Amino acid sequence: MSWRGESNRYLASAYKNWIISKRNVFTLFELFFWPMISLLSIGLLTRFLNVGPGMVSFLLVGAIALTILQVAQIDVAYVLLFDMWSKSIKNTFIAPIRSYHLVFGALIFGIARGALVFAILASVSRYLFGFDFRAGGLLPVLIFLAGVFAVAAVIGIIVCISILTFGQKADVAAWSLSGLILLVSGIYYPVEVLPPALQMLSRAIPLTYFLEYYRSVFIPGPHNLAVGAALAAMYLVVGLILFDRAIERARRTGILLRLSE
Amino acid sequence: MAEKSVVCRGICKSYKSFFGAEAKVLKEISLEVEAGEIFGILGPNGSGKTTLISIFSTLIYPERGSLHVLGLDASRRRDEIRKLINISTAKPNFPWSLSVKENLRHYGMLYGMHGSMLSKAVSDLIDTFELGEYTDMNFENLSTGLKQRLSLAKAMLNRPKLLFLDEPTTGLDPDISMKTRSLIRRIHDEQEISVIMSTHYMPEAEMLCDRVAFLRKGEVVALDTPQNLKNHLGLGERVVVFYEGPVDLKGLEMVQGVMSVAAEPGRVEMVIDRTRENLDRIIKLFSGAKILDISVKEPDLEDVFIELAR
Ligand SMILES: Nc1ncnc2c1ncn2[C@@H]1O[C@H](COP(=O)(O)OP(=O)(O)OP(=O)(O)O)[C@@H](O)[C@H]1O
Ligand SMILES: [Mg+2]
Repeated sequence: MSWRGESNRYLASAYKNWIISKRNVFTLFELFFWPMISLLSIGLLTRFLNVGPGMVSFLLVGAIALTILQVAQIDVAYVLLFDMWSKSIKNTFIAPIRSYHLVFGALIFGIARGALVFAILASVSRYLFGFDFRAGGLLPVLIFLAGVFAVAAVIGIIVCISILTFGQKADVAAWSLSGLILLVSGIYYPVEVLPPALQMLSRAIPLTYFLEYYRSVFIPGPHNLAVGAALAAMYLVVGLILFDRAIERARRTGILLRLSE
Repeated sequence: MAEKSVVCRGICKSYKSFFGAEAKVLKEISLEVEAGEIFGILGPNGSGKTTLISIFSTLIYPERGSLHVLGLDASRRRDEIRKLINISTAKPNFPWSLSVKENLRHYGMLYGMHGSMLSKAVSDLIDTFELGEYTDMNFENLSTGLKQRLSLAKAMLNRPKLLFLDEPTTGLDPDISMKTRSLIRRIHDEQEISVIMSTHYMPEAEMLCDRVAFLRKGEVVALDTPQNLKNHLGLGERVVVFYEGPVDLKGLEMVQGVMSVAAEPGRVEMVIDRTRENLDRIIKLFSGAKILDISVKEPDLEDVFIELAR
């Protein structure tokens, strides 16, 4: 198959997600309302607490990371969720596609939406709270975003796997995952304040490393980007393999038919 | 010589419920579907038609048995098979807020179509399936008949060699059903596509299918051409005669080819094998009476169905 044909098999999911969100008023909430709420509330909190510029950056980086993580993660999960809600899953899985076509296709759109949200939040926080997201140049920003998107992809994959394994209701359990990440990977505080057991857990989450890396631009401190990148890559690969397995299992058990009834 | 559409041996499938109970839905299905055939899968509700079609199309996997689709081993070469087949499911569903055209584009892309080839395929299919007026209508607003047509169009996107249709006319009104049937016939004839379809509507199978398999409780209870099935089961034609005057009813039963006689005053109903050869002798027995009306009804698959589902 030509490279254009092959790339269209990925873009198919981006195209579908794009049209669906274009027609969905709720998209405006996902892209503007909730992100703004979370940014403004944290920004105003820093004013109230009267913290210095370093701490303002620290907290805003956390708020922005969490927001774009959620936006991009939901896009990856939507690749199956939309199919499930519209009962069209059979039509997707009759085609010769693999998990990576679906995941990366949806991720392309998730990255587009996430980047848009980042641009908005970064501009607003610069204007309102004096947070200069480009203080260390463009490269750290890109690396940070890449890390967040990789983690988003992994969470999206986990949602998809749970749906295929446990059925429709499973998405709820998977959503809680981003809550766990909020708690453990140091969105609003350095992970050192966590109890030791949770600190171990936080070291297993790539986002922790990407946050530490990006924050070191504003408040110099130790970070280990290589570990974060390696973890993210490993989770992605393992996630895709497990996703493909979940598809195969759903075909063996017949749950794939049930999901479209 | 083209490869057979499907060759399967000893296919078994059961669904496990959440609590571990197991329901055997297909039991040792073995059959072969020839290249170029329109093959029908008939059976009452719950007999396993959808399950069998889903297995043939590699949507789900059997737990036992071997399956070759278009000559390819379905346990190993699924990706190749999937490129060569497509399906229109029962009660078709597509992403609701995508229009007819967007849906076709989306599925075309999943099959790796691109550029002008994709655009042309989409607009050709929109023409073939007479969806022109509805190209920009969202799926959720389409009528059942249009949804079905979109589903058929989608199933033709990758120009499949083998097309699966699960109850393509269920839920459609008689007029639209008829149109859909001729459409199926047309794509089969014009594009030389093999078709495997399920239905529980007998006239449809009679009209379209070269051969049919009857499923009952997950087993193939009969497999033949519609004509042979009718003959084989000894389903003769039903002849009803209205008359006035004396008739030798006992004599009727003795005539060769008469399988049964049910009489009431002035009316007799007979089931007759090869009516054309035997009618003459039967009519002779009515020579002392006046025939008011006579009707001959050929057996249809409905009768076969009733016979087999017993
Ligand atoms: N995914 C599934 N999980 C569990 N049981 C199932 C599943 N799909 C079908 N069944 C059961 O398997 C049996 C056969 O179902 P199937 O859908 O194959 O029959 P069918 O001949 O297509 O019926 P219909 O005419 O109603 O479409 C039914 O008893 C059905 O309840
Ligand atoms: Mg069915």
